Amino acid sequence: MTKLLCRLALRLSKFNGLWVLLVLCVFCAPMRADEADFFEKKIRPLFAEHCYACHADGAKTIHASLLLDSVESIRLGGDSGPIVQPGDPDASLIYQSLVDAKGLQMPPEGRLPEQQIQDVRSWIARGAVMPSEETAREMIKGEIDYESSRQFWSFQPLEMAPLPEVHGAEWPEQRLDYFLLRGMEAAGLSPSPKADRRTLLRRTYLTLTGLPPTESQASHFLNDSHPLAFERMVDRLMASPEYGQHWARWWLDLARYTDRTASWLSQEGQAFYYRDWVADALNEDVPYDDFVRRQLATDQMVKTTAKDLSALGFLSLSPTYWKELKLPCEIIKVIVADEWEERVDVVSRTFLGLTAACARCHDHKFDPVSMEDYYALAGVFASTRSVAKPLIEDAMYQPVETAKKKVAELLSDVEKLKKETKEIQSKESVDGGAKATDLEMQIAAMLREVEAIKRETPYYDAPLVNALTDESLYVVRAGATPQDGSRLEYRPESRDLPLFMRGNPNRPAEMIPRRFLQLFGNERPFEKGSGRLELADAIFSDAKDLAARVIVNRVWLAFFGRGIVDTPSNFGIQGSPPTHPELIDDLAFRFIQQGWSLKRLHREIVLSSTWQQSSLATDFALSKDPNNQWWARMDVRKLTFEQWRDSMLLGADSLRSEIGGEASSLEDPRNYRRTLYSTIHRRDMSTTMMIHDFPDPTQHSPKRIGTLTPLQGLYALNGPLMLRQSSELLERLKRQEMMSVEDSVKKVYGWLYFREPTQDELRLSMQFLGQATSSVTDQRWQQYLHVLLASNELQFLD
Amino acid sequence: MKIVNDHISNRRSWLQQTGAGMGMLGACQVLADSSEGLADLRDQTKLNGTHFPPRAKRVIHLFMNGGPFQADLFDPKPALQKYEGQRPASADLLTERPTGGLLPSPFKFEPRGQSGLPISELLPQLSQHADDLCVLRSMHADNPNHGPALLQMNNGTILPTRPSMGAWFLYGLGTENENLPGYLVLCPGRPVRFSILWNSAFLPSEYQGTYVNHSSLDPDTMLPNLKNRSWSHDVQSQQLSLLRDLNEGYLRSRNDHPSFGARLQSMETAFRMQSEARDAFDLNLETKATLDSYGEGHFAKGCLLARRMVERGVRFVQLYYGNGQPWDTHSNHDKTVPGLCKQIDQPISALLTDLKQRGLLEDTLVVWGGEFGRTPTSENGSGRDHNHHGFTMWMAGGGVRGGMSYGNTDEFGFKAVENKVHVHDLHATILHLLGLDHERLTFRHSGRDFRLTDVFGRVVRDIIA
Repeated sequence: MTKLLCRLALRLSKFNGLWVLLVLCVFCAPMRADEADFFEKKIRPLFAEHCYACHADGAKTIHASLLLDSVESIRLGGDSGPIVQPGDPDASLIYQSLVDAKGLQMPPEGRLPEQQIQDVRSWIARGAVMPSEETAREMIKGEIDYESSRQFWSFQPLEMAPLPEVHGAEWPEQRLDYFLLRGMEAAGLSPSPKADRRTLLRRTYLTLTGLPPTESQASHFLNDSHPLAFERMVDRLMASPEYGQHWARWWLDLARYTDRTASWLSQEGQAFYYRDWVADALNEDVPYDDFVRRQLATDQMVKTTAKDLSALGFLSLSPTYWKELKLPCEIIKVIVADEWEERVDVVSRTFLGLTAACARCHDHKFDPVSMEDYYALAGVFASTRSVAKPLIEDAMYQPVETAKKKVAELLSDVEKLKKETKEIQSKESVDGGAKATDLEMQIAAMLREVEAIKRETPYYDAPLVNALTDESLYVVRAGATPQDGSRLEYRPESRDLPLFMRGNPNRPAEMIPRRFLQLFGNERPFEKGSGRLELADAIFSDAKDLAARVIVNRVWLAFFGRGIVDTPSNFGIQGSPPTHPELIDDLAFRFIQQGWSLKRLHREIVLSSTWQQSSLATDFALSKDPNNQWWARMDVRKLTFEQWRDSMLLGADSLRSEIGGEASSLEDPRNYRRTLYSTIHRRDMSTTMMIHDFPDPTQHSPKRIGTLTPLQGLYALNGPLMLRQSSELLERLKRQEMMSVEDSVKKVYGWLYFREPTQDELRLSMQFLGQATSSVTDQRWQQYLHVLLASNELQFLD
Repeated sequence: MKIVNDHISNRRSWLQQTGAGMGMLGACQVLADSSEGLADLRDQTKLNGTHFPPRAKRVIHLFMNGGPFQADLFDPKPALQKYEGQRPASADLLTERPTGGLLPSPFKFEPRGQSGLPISELLPQLSQHADDLCVLRSMHADNPNHGPALLQMNNGTILPTRPSMGAWFLYGLGTENENLPGYLVLCPGRPVRFSILWNSAFLPSEYQGTYVNHSSLDPDTMLPNLKNRSWSHDVQSQQLSLLRDLNEGYLRSRNDHPSFGARLQSMETAFRMQSEARDAFDLNLETKATLDSYGEGHFAKGCLLARRMVERGVRFVQLYYGNGQPWDTHSNHDKTVPGLCKQIDQPISALLTDLKQRGLLEDTLVVWGGEFGRTPTSENGSGRDHNHHGFTMWMAGGGVRGGMSYGNTDEFGFKAVENKVHVHDLHATILHLLGLDHERLTFRHSGRDFRLTDVFGRVVRDIIA
């Protein structure tokens, strides 16, 4: 413990002014300090050694509802009432049980040594003094100095930066270029030349739509000499539906999207409505603030339409942990609290780049987020319930709900009657036969009624989406004792949470009203239902500058492979500092000013000189800036699995273009849709996706961690997709007019790489295909095409 | 979307050039891209391979999924006879389902080996290895429900969002054989919760476990994409040669970007893996004597596969006993357990003998146990409920002391009371044996340094040889 505290103190001392570490041993009254000390030295260790196993938050089964690990709960006692009568050991239950006075021997494994029993006796006799709970609390709480915390760069108000002075003033095309050029010049670097047209073509297509160009798209651009050709292509791509499909996946990584939720949850809602809503919203360039508001609270917003409800999937599809209700509620409460933590984590990291979930058990060790802040947010999620809701107006759905209720009742009656029939039949009594026939007729009639209801109720099969409603969750005992297990109770009114000591819901302290983070200066409690909308509004008013910095950085990361801040979901003190502080602020400032438009930001980046640079590094640049911090060149990047697979499908002209709808298995040999539509099953992920760095859908993923592994190599050598697509590619080739082997090779190079093969490549290809140019077998062709699909050129982006 | 950092690839190719390979060096110090970025690497780079000399280099975890009853096998409790049918206050612990009075185990114990370690008559062959076993009688966990308990045994928490211990091992130590996955999970079917038990969560995906369903023993189908359906080995070799030539041309046009070199390496490794992994999984390459010594059944085959894997440098092999939760004996417990034991007795004994004969036992840690134990009280007369309060696991080889038991449960075997070993402590100890300090093996994620042992864990030093 001491070691830990020292380490903590050391770490804290590094962050001057932010924290004031309170003296840890301040007791409630100086004159009683010795007494409290006696408790800490003699009594608490004794409890810890002999009693915590059953009477502390670490014990998963808490006996007699008695906790001995906090001052407060020692005062409170357990099921049998108070355990300590200060001044009167003989009347104190705890002392009685230690000496086995009333037939209750504690600890159960045997009487304590006499000295320890005497210590307890003497502690009670002297008034059972303990340090105050406040003091105990100070062990886990620092004092946050919000004023000085706000000086940290990411919490500062945004300002538009003055345009930096640069030497090469003819280079910048966009405002952002000035900031980059300034950095390069300061580092003694100069920008790389613009990438060649072919490289730009592929880079732009894959970055904006996740797909390479088709043959005709490629030749259209490569032959378009108009000065605005590139800009036109960019605008065309950003207006295409494929843009939203690609960027939806970017967002779904953050949202830990899954098509399939846990098997024990109601499977009525169709997750894909959320995925498709994201794609549509991005295509429509819904302003980012609104895009987020809808996902957190569209049900509480005035202008909501039924379709918008799908947006709630962000929270509604959150990971849910199994709650075995046979277990006592002390255990279930912990699981529920873990779920709330997950919601605080995903919301604070995604939208604010803050790791607020760190403050569940203690004040955040580095950032100005207190435990109170944590519970103020957690209360919002404790007051929110995932439900399936129809995509039609409530009024229209009302009759369906009534009908569904009726159907459920009928079906349950049917079950009862069936059981009854079985029982009668098994008894084989004289009049049983007639009775059973009668029951069977009743059953048939009821089933007919069910069918009729289903048939006659309009919208009976209306699709349901994963939505939210404001109901608060309580975990209560199912019966009189813990043995009776637990019950989950949803109540219509919203709830505040108490602060949980050390994050343990079985150790509640004072109530914390739902509200936003104190750091942002607004402590008004949330009043409208769960407060989800107020939370969203606070993000985009009180914390808008931080929210804007976080999102422009995510966009930057998506275009460049690295963020200006390299820790995209941690803009706190432990996060990376920005490589270009003025740039991120300038981008964020203008992002807000220009109406939170993601498309506008995307367009600026794509049209910038910085982004259009070549990725070829000179030796000078490599030695001067090996990590490419100053962006005097582009990085070469590996495509995501989605981009790679989609490239293979498109290259063989076998990509099906339907948009949206139900997902299908990636391993299904008939799956020719974009990879976006492959089933993501949180509990049973596709092996293929997992070995290709697809993020774990149980958690917010700020960026993909790329790896190169032999299992990926095996996939490229033998994966069924490679065999199928090389065969599809061959079919495409065979659909062409007859041509020479050499021309065929050139054709395929055009489809896949948008260029002619070099002399070397042509020679190698012809060699592989066999010199007898007239009689290459289909099989040899397929083997050749397989190699082209597995090549680095197809899997990397220049 | 940042791919393997130049730093890694350079380092990796450097390692390959110098013939060292990843096995010589912990992966975490060459991994330059945590989910939170380069800034966080500073701490991680400090780790130079292991923190101290390892006692074990690889681990085999024999997972009795469902949960065996400690007092049937390694923790004799004569008091159960005396209090049969009663439920004394100290045996009044909450478990998942209601249970009644105490139910004695009908199985006899004998002191075994020179150490006199008591082992049940149900495990006669394993008993011959008593002097190699280090029996932990005081295990305890946090949750008496299969899913959460399986998660905890694998990743330290009851949450599905944390990396499994195998992923941590690989992250800390890398693999010893580039031609095989470093972390293999064998099960003749699917354990409850399935792949989430061996995921890498926020650690890079190369550290996740590779699942092998060995209910079919065809070596070609055990690893995904191991065999090409269409092309012969010769054709593949031609393909690879063309690929290399084309990629090299491309590489030259890209000023020799190191990522491409790394990818080429991984393709060639994959190519070699096809034959090496095929051999590794091919039990026909064993002698009849060896095959006979392990006996029949999925578990026996799994044990033999496990030996073949560790022999080839696979870092962590986890072998689940069977599909679902076979040891979950809520009814007919006494009738079911002898059959289960029969399935494991000979294979585990053969595995230990085999490892010893090959000189592998000294640096291979074998761990046996379930996600929890079972109640000494009866569930509906003939069954036993889950028990996380106290249960037994054992370890052998890899630097642990043999012929000993550590810790104790209460007189009924219900609850760990003496020298308790929590799952966190087990993890801390295994990491320690592997040469890793569980407090220093960290990964920065979501604003803090995560560990396998969270903020808990103590190394059980008394059991280290």
